[in-house]
Amino acid sequence: MAKLKKFFRYENVGLLFVLPAFLYMLVFVGYPIIRNIILSFQDVNAGNLVRGTKNFILFDNYLELFKDSVFTTSLWNTLRYTVLCLVFQFVIGFALALFFSQRFALAKPVRGILLVPWMIPVTVTALMFKLLFATDIGVINFILRSLHLIDQNIEWLTTPGTAMFALICANVWIGIPFNMILISTGLTTIPKELYESASIDGAGKVQTFWKITLPLLKPTIESVLILGFIYTFKVYDLVYVMTSGGPVNSTHMLSTYSYKLSFEMFKYSKGSAVANVLLVILLIVGVFYIKATTEGEEE
Amino acid sequence: MKKRKITALLTALTMTAGILAGCGGTGNDAAAPAAPAADNAPAAQESSKEESGGEAASGGEAQAITIWYYWETEGHQVALDQVIQEYNGSQSQYEVTAKYVPFADFKKQLSIGASADELPDIAILDSPDHASYVEMGIFEDLTGKFDVSNYYEGTVNSCTVDGKLYGVPFGANCLALYYNEDMLTAAGCSVPTTWDELKETAKALTTDSVTGLALCSVQNEEGTFNFVPWLWSTGATSYDINNENGIRALTFIQDLINEGVMSKECINWTQGDVMNQFISGNVAMMENGPWQIPTMQSEAPDLNWKVTLIPKDAEYASVLGGENYAVINGGNVDGALDFLTYATSEEKVKFLMDKFGYISADKNIAGSQFAADSPYQPFVEELNYAMPRGPLAEWPSVSDAISLAFNQVITGTATPEDAAADAQATIDGIVK
Repeated sequence: MAKLKKFFRYENVGLLFVLPAFLYMLVFVGYPIIRNIILSFQDVNAGNLVRGTKNFILFDNYLELFKDSVFTTSLWNTLRYTVLCLVFQFVIGFALALFFSQRFALAKPVRGILLVPWMIPVTVTALMFKLLFATDIGVINFILRSLHLIDQNIEWLTTPGTAMFALICANVWIGIPFNMILISTGLTTIPKELYESASIDGAGKVQTFWKITLPLLKPTIESVLILGFIYTFKVYDLVYVMTSGGPVNSTHMLSTYSYKLSFEMFKYSKGSAVANVLLVILLIVGVFYIKATTEGEEE
Repeated sequence: MKKRKITALLTALTMTAGILAGCGGTGNDAAAPAAPAADNAPAAQESSKEESGGEAASGGEAQAITIWYYWETEGHQVALDQVIQEYNGSQSQYEVTAKYVPFADFKKQLSIGASADELPDIAILDSPDHASYVEMGIFEDLTGKFDVSNYYEGTVNSCTVDGKLYGVPFGANCLALYYNEDMLTAAGCSVPTTWDELKETAKALTTDSVTGLALCSVQNEEGTFNFVPWLWSTGATSYDINNENGIRALTFIQDLINEGVMSKECINWTQGDVMNQFISGNVAMMENGPWQIPTMQSEAPDLNWKVTLIPKDAEYASVLGGENYAVINGGNVDGALDFLTYATSEEKVKFLMDKFGYISADKNIAGSQFAADSPYQPFVEELNYAMPRGPLAEWPSVSDAISLAFNQVITGTATPEDAAADAQATIDGIVK
């Protein structure tokens, strides 16, 4: 009894609150993930999905993947796509958040309107950018030509290098409002007195930004970056609609390649192996995030 | 502090995992959305057991028969529904319902359904995928249950594996060459019949705002469908590409791009997009199928176009498309067979084919299906040269190699020689 009482001390009650969500996740997320991991160690294809033996071949799927040039391309693509998107989204989003934190007429409504890209369904955005970047009828080529920056239309979506650029542009456009709104919220939590006393002490704008704004925003920035990383790393719909992984497999991401292997080519085990690589990378990022945040709390 | 760490860890883990799983079917087990659609199947089995217990069909409740199909065109859905309603009204033993599954999800849903044991009783699926599902073991052997002796050989081959019939062809289609007659007349060209003539004609038709030829070149099965007629016309087969013939086909397509008579944008155009470019007057000739005709007639009634055979290199060639009915084993097989017997009767086939803009897979029906001057008539002739893809359980992988090779030469990322060699290496790894 005493033990039970001890267990229900204030601190432990938190664990109980987490329990329902945890059980839900265990059934609807944990189970599929475990099944997926088992699947990736087997040799399941069209021939033995329903009947026949599913042999355990352990890491053969993974070993084969790392010899598969489309897989290594998708891994590299996913990484550089994520990093480049994050850099631009974050910098532009931060700048806009600072801008709209100033008090001026219409600051709030305009900031609201800027949220539109985040609210539009991704498939719609993808179709829109597909048309913007079209070679002969695209607005982007039209503008560049009108400004005499180019003589010939650039084949944005049909050339391997530029197709990735177009994807990044589309995703940066989607991601800016997300970064902006979270950082704006973070900015409002910084007490105004700090800025006042800093200005009395003679600190300049740049100095207050580096010495007050940035350090106090550290937890917000960490959340924004980690959430941004996860959202960007698992990209699927944008790529599927804009390029479907083409031209010539040059814009495949881990997610699109996993789908293609599983559901277009019936290589279920190989497809789930790709999905697991995606999962492992995201888990590593998650662990770093936890370390960063908990250290901050213990200071 | 430790506890907070653990709580944070759990939350973050589940959060990451939740988002990952939320992206929809990265693995094989995201089957939840498929469940409600298929729960008719077990019910049907149960009621079938009850009824066989003795009661006559007149008294008991009708057994449910489910069909999955992927046609998004409204006219197709309405026509299929009409046949189903007529069938349901004609007898009281079975109650057929049809469910639309989008084409992009169709293979996924069948795969998930197979592993979760939640399948319909009848699937109407794309013919090149038929062999893969036969290999999976979910289709009933229909040998001797349907008379397919009058059907086009290619259509029957597409659902035959190891000499056994695992499906019934729904209807046939193939690709042919559409041309804008006004543009051809204005440029003083005659209708091309060979590759050389095609290239010359395409050059003559190309202007600042019009490209001579377009064909869907996306890197998937749809692209392969449009590429193989060119490959086969040289005498190359789907499995033997790295030779003079295969390279000639790749070179021909690459030349069309390099000479500017075909747009590189084709790699992002579905067959529907190609048709839209054609009726907008941006493209003078296109490779496409007969199912576009109803849309073209209603969207662009004034456009003056005609259809002819795909120009040949060594021999005329086209590719066979269309769907097959398949009966799922473990479902209500008797009910499925009963409906299929009804739906494949001459009267119903004629009705469906007319509404669909398809050609009957039955030669006797196809022969008298269209008037001599009908735009569909060239497709009936082209059907004589049309061959099926596969049938091969690993066809999706072979198809991927073929569409990749054509995409490589179109985008200029590989020479025809290298593309052919790469594709051959992939195909040899699958077939040999």
